Amino acid sequence: MTRITVDIPVIETDRLILRAMQETDLDVIADFFADDRSSFVGGPKSRADSWRTIAGALGHWMLRGYGMWLAAERATDRPVGGVGFLFPEGWDEPELGWHLYNGHEGKGYAYEAAIAARTHGARHFGLDGVISYIAPDNTRSAALARRMGATLERQGTLLGHAVDVYRHPTQEAA
Amino acid sequence: MPLTNAPTLETANLILRSHEARDIEPMIAFLTDQERAAGFGAYDNRHDAWRWVALSVGHWHIHGYGYFTIEDKASGQPAGFTGIWNPDGWPEPEIGWVVFDGFEGRGVAFEAAARARDWAYSDLGFTTLTSNIVPGNTRSVQLAERLGAWFERQYQNAYMGTEMLYRHPGPDMLDSDGGIEAYT
Repeated sequence: MTRITVDIPVIETDRLILRAMQETDLDVIADFFADDRSSFVGGPKSRADSWRTIAGALGHWMLRGYGMWLAAERATDRPVGGVGFLFPEGWDEPELGWHLYNGHEGKGYAYEAAIAARTHGARHFGLDGVISYIAPDNTRSAALARRMGATLERQGTLLGHAVDVYRHPTQEAA
Repeated sequence: MPLTNAPTLETANLILRSHEARDIEPMIAFLTDQERAAGFGAYDNRHDAWRWVALSVGHWHIHGYGYFTIEDKASGQPAGFTGIWNPDGWPEPEIGWVVFDGFEGRGVAFEAAARARDWAYSDLGFTTLTSNIVPGNTRSVQLAERLGAWFERQYQNAYMGTEMLYRHPGPDMLDSDGGIEAYT
């Protein structure tokens, strides 16, 4: 009875496809959120809450006109992570976020997906020069933000937690 | 602009329709009202309440059903929500209902929930439905019984703790209008 009717664009990169999250991705997403690695993106959380994350991501697209994609390997459609734009209540402005599911680190997938999402957002969503909220101890994400040309703009708080706010270059400058 | 693929249904006094952007603030107001939302699942902050709204929208896009906004015909205002709710971990699809501040005491929940149930049976092909009610929520128990539902068992809900599962009469037990004359 699955009926995805949200108009979520599909983006292809060299190795990845960015597409809508689906209920059939629940096993992989629940596995990710069961692990402490998910602590930087609202985890750990239960399988039931992981389902709500998928539904909530689809709802976010409807509410905002943009949101999070699932990044999958093009060849196999195997999910490798989540990437996209988040602007729920409580955020200062839309942010570009990314995370990799278990076992997919170290291949450059996050960089590849995040660059593709950032470019698409600037061209099609009017989201240019966006921020990324990064926990101060999330050194891998901070390194990726810098590799993408983002710079530390300020230290802030998000939902009561200290965060570093990185600012991405505008598309012309990138 | 509708945020879901929900149909628009009508009753004497109400319209059941898709969530729209103008419903977001009334929904957040309800969800962060600790007293009013206690039996439903209250949130203590706007962020979590907004995310629930996104969840309710996304639920439609996964299942093809979910919560409708109940609109009061007379005022054009959102008066609550009702519909069929079935996230991961739920024992079965359930009919849920809530009524916003200022719309209680007019039979809104009964009128809306009966219409949603009729839709689920006639359009979605459901053959049975439940309602999960927190012990002590006597208003909801009364409404479930008025809808012809009966207590079946208790179960543990991951979000609400112990809940009472009420079983609704199936489509074969209701008259052609979705009414429950046999029970009144």
